[in-house]
Amino acid sequence: MPAFLLNSNIGKRTLALDPRTKLLLLVTMCVFVLGGLGGAKMENFRLVISVMPLFFLLFSRKWRAAVTFAVLFSTFYWMQIYLIPVTGGFVNFIVIAMTGIVTRFMPSIAMAYFVMSTTTVSEFVAAMERMHLSDNIVIPMSVIFRFFPTIGEEFSAINDAMRMRGVRFGGGKVTAMLEYRLIPMMICSVKIGEELSASALTRGLGAPVKRTNICRIGFRLPDLIVLALCLLAFGMWIMNSFFA
Amino acid sequence: MSENNSSNKSLQGKDLINVGIFTAMYFVIVFAVAMLGYIPILMPMLCVLVPIVGGIPFMLFLTKVKKFGMIWIMSIIMGILMLLTGMGFYSILVGAVSGLIAELIFKSGDYRSASKAVLTSGVFSVWVWGNFIPFFLNIDAYFSTRQGYGQEYIDALTKLMPLWMCPVLLIAAFISGVIGGLLGKAALKKHFHKAGIA
Repeated sequence: MPAFLLNSNIGKRTLALDPRTKLLLLVTMCVFVLGGLGGAKMENFRLVISVMPLFFLLFSRKWRAAVTFAVLFSTFYWMQIYLIPVTGGFVNFIVIAMTGIVTRFMPSIAMAYFVMSTTTVSEFVAAMERMHLSDNIVIPMSVIFRFFPTIGEEFSAINDAMRMRGVRFGGGKVTAMLEYRLIPMMICSVKIGEELSASALTRGLGAPVKRTNICRIGFRLPDLIVLALCLLAFGMWIMNSFFA
Repeated sequence: MSENNSSNKSLQGKDLINVGIFTAMYFVIVFAVAMLGYIPILMPMLCVLVPIVGGIPFMLFLTKVKKFGMIWIMSIIMGILMLLTGMGFYSILVGAVSGLIAELIFKSGDYRSASKAVLTSGVFSVWVWGNFIPFFLNIDAYFSTRQGYGQEYIDALTKLMPLWMCPVLLIAAFISGVIGGLLGKAALKKHFHKAGIA
């Protein structure tokens, strides 16, 4: 499942955005949709940003992800509009919580999926170097994003093993249940980390020379449009909160 | 590259990769625990739960820390990840300060002292408190960004977060960080020394 992350096939891409543009896009999404910056005043604009991942997913030919996102988001959005006024009591509470969580999280998850699945580690590192960010931040960050899917894989494997032994929810002590999952996962991660370091060293990471790469990064027309949109969001927020 | 290359004090690729791996692990665990925050009563409890559970991977991380900067970088990256997951930018500010103090404490123990490591875990955990600052600065503005959760959730949470909770949560984060550190130390002794990892 997670092989797509940071490991995309460059030849298949139709919409080539600069990694820096994608990151700004992700930050904008997280700050305005997930973080809810701007409050009620920017409700309409938030909807515009929320549906953007759909277009990016379509442009990069991620059909399944695009359809999943479109169906889930629109269902819960309409639920939010039509179901909340007609329900009451406990059902109302559940509907509000569910729609609230899905409409807030889905756009950012979809955008993160787009960014991760269309950016290679080399591109990410190259773009970050272009921004003159220190290696001290760039290397850990690229490892982190590379490592999330690994953790998920390991965790599900450990989960299977523990279920076979009968260590599960409700099957005994909570501490044992936690311990028997956390500790193996940490041991796995340390081992994988050592292998990752060895592999990175063979590729010249940490060598006292400047590393080169063949990634073509740079701002083109689609980048400018997306950047303008992101800046518009921040501009609107500044206008609303300081000059209104 | 040998392990005992102690003459070279600057961070190498290997150290930075270690920071990345442990931050990823720490973040996943923290994120899983933080999901409990959707139940209003558990929201302030996150200041206790997150450091206690997070202490275990953090203590393992400390066994890999031998050079200045690794704890600090981890703290700042946790702040960046909190911004990316929509928790606001306060944890970057808090994390930059608490991470540096934690780093200095662990350094004063020559990156070896076990008791200093537990204290480091306590100070490091203070970044969690950064996520709660918006509650106390302007709770109405905070909830204007979270209307989607419903009025019941907002009312319940407002009642749970009077102003005096602010220092209480700070101290709670520190103390639970120390408890998490002790737990982590016990886990190291029980599991990792045997496996030859720590």
